[in-house]
Amino acid sequence: MPAGVLAMRFAVGDVSGNGSGETVVTRGQMAGQQTAGRIDDANLIREAQQGNHRAFEELIRQYDQAVLRLALHLTGSPDDAQDIYQEAFLKAYKSVGNFRFECSFYTWLYRIVTNLCLDHLRKKQVRKEDSAVVNDSDGEEFSLLDTVSDDRAAHNPERDLMRKELGRKIGKALTRLTERERMVFELKHYQGLKLRTIGEMLNTTEETAKNTLFRATQKLRTSLAEMRS
Amino acid sequence: MNCEWVKDNAFLYAYDELPDDQRIEFEQHVNRCTGCAEEVKALKGLREVMSAAPMLEPSPSFLAESRMKLQEQLEIAQQERGWKRWFIDPFAMLKTMKFSPALAAVLLMVGFAGGAGVAYKLAHTDSGGNPSIAGGDKGPPQVVASIAGIREIQQDPNSNRVSIKYDTLQPQTAEGNLNDQRIQQLLLYAARNNVNTGVRLNSLDLLTQKPEDTKVREALEASLRYDTNPGVRLKAMEALAPYVKQDSTVRDVLLEALLHDNNPGVRSLALQTLEPVRADSAVRMELQYLADKDKDQAIKRQAQAMLATLPEID
Repeated sequence: MPAGVLAMRFAVGDVSGNGSGETVVTRGQMAGQQTAGRIDDANLIREAQQGNHRAFEELIRQYDQAVLRLALHLTGSPDDAQDIYQEAFLKAYKSVGNFRFECSFYTWLYRIVTNLCLDHLRKKQVRKEDSAVVNDSDGEEFSLLDTVSDDRAAHNPERDLMRKELGRKIGKALTRLTERERMVFELKHYQGLKLRTIGEMLNTTEETAKNTLFRATQKLRTSLAEMRS
Repeated sequence: MNCEWVKDNAFLYAYDELPDDQRIEFEQHVNRCTGCAEEVKALKGLREVMSAAPMLEPSPSFLAESRMKLQEQLEIAQQERGWKRWFIDPFAMLKTMKFSPALAAVLLMVGFAGGAGVAYKLAHTDSGGNPSIAGGDKGPPQVVASIAGIREIQQDPNSNRVSIKYDTLQPQTAEGNLNDQRIQQLLLYAARNNVNTGVRLNSLDLLTQKPEDTKVREALEASLRYDTNPGVRLKAMEALAPYVKQDSTVRDVLLEALLHDNNPGVRSLALQTLEPVRADSAVRMELQYLADKDKDQAIKRQAQAMLATLPEID
């Protein structure tokens, strides 16, 4: 998971003591900053529960980019990703009054997001092949890659072609998973979450999430081996 | 630590999910065992291949556009919540409106209607003390209706005249045959949204008379996946059973119920329902898993019995 999206933001200063400009954050500072961060979140949540949509927006700002990334990767469609993004956060806003601080806000939010993603996967009947080229709402073809950033300095057409072909094979292998297998694999492999967290998000146990990941990896190995042969 | 355990848990090692004590033993075993080392290498290779198509970031403009649209929707949602506050706290509302004799004539009783939402009854006592809604200057008093919410209250200055805008919930009845689109829509809605289990069961009973309809099948699949009542899930599964051979989505939903449902009866019926497609590779893989590892002994035996009827795969 990219550190910039979900890491706690905290200011660091020169504590090296030798004027070298090294910035070192002590554990005490980190713990203190994390506690401060959690208190800030709790205050924002309470404000949002009173209906303050600006507080809600500030609260979700830590997570919304990751949610959009997840939706985009799962659906392969900017329109669908945006729909999931809108629906997830609107649902969260409307039901934030039910949040009782029994788990982290992040886990609670992702329960909503993963349910919507699962619904989407089911509706799309993911036995068909994913494509990097989709149709927009006007029926025009455009490449998904136009909506994403590409920071690589060197542009190599042959490497791009190989990358697209590999992407196609990976997409095809992923369509052979059930929706839950796909979701668990997505959250584990692409989002880097722990299986225990994934279990909480999907309202199941860590053991079930483990078994689902096992089946997903077995199926992917078989699919990719078949494609190679 | 034996090879079977290592191979079964190699995926956890590849994804850094093994606890530290197990990881150390695991690595010691793999260092000694060529076969297990190959398995770990294969899984790490899988991880590398799947990472070859990287997670692409949404572009800044796409993210900004999404945020702007969300902001608009949140503002609308906040406004809707705003007028509902009158609805939730009528006594605070009365205080802010500076209580007056005209408002004193308005009595609010809080009641709960069946189903979602909160309803208020607006009662106005006529000279006979009978509750009714005043028909205004036109028409006789109406029957008391359930009020969904109060939108606005205004009092004319220097007078006792009060104007209240409110929404009402009116119970309605729809009649027609099962082919009637409106009846179908209401049945589909009832199957997914009603808090009353009996209503959900009745709607499924009627919907199952047209399971070839795509929307009906989707509703049955949703009931099997999400309904909190096992009786409803069983009914949905019975209705989907005839389609297990021809519809792969039905097969997937049944597999999901078999693996994840928390009711043993539902799981057992799912296993029986999958019997006609037991030779399907996905089903076979799951049967193998259940036969080896399921904690429910009855399910385990059932899966073993089904596998025994299948020919061996070379």
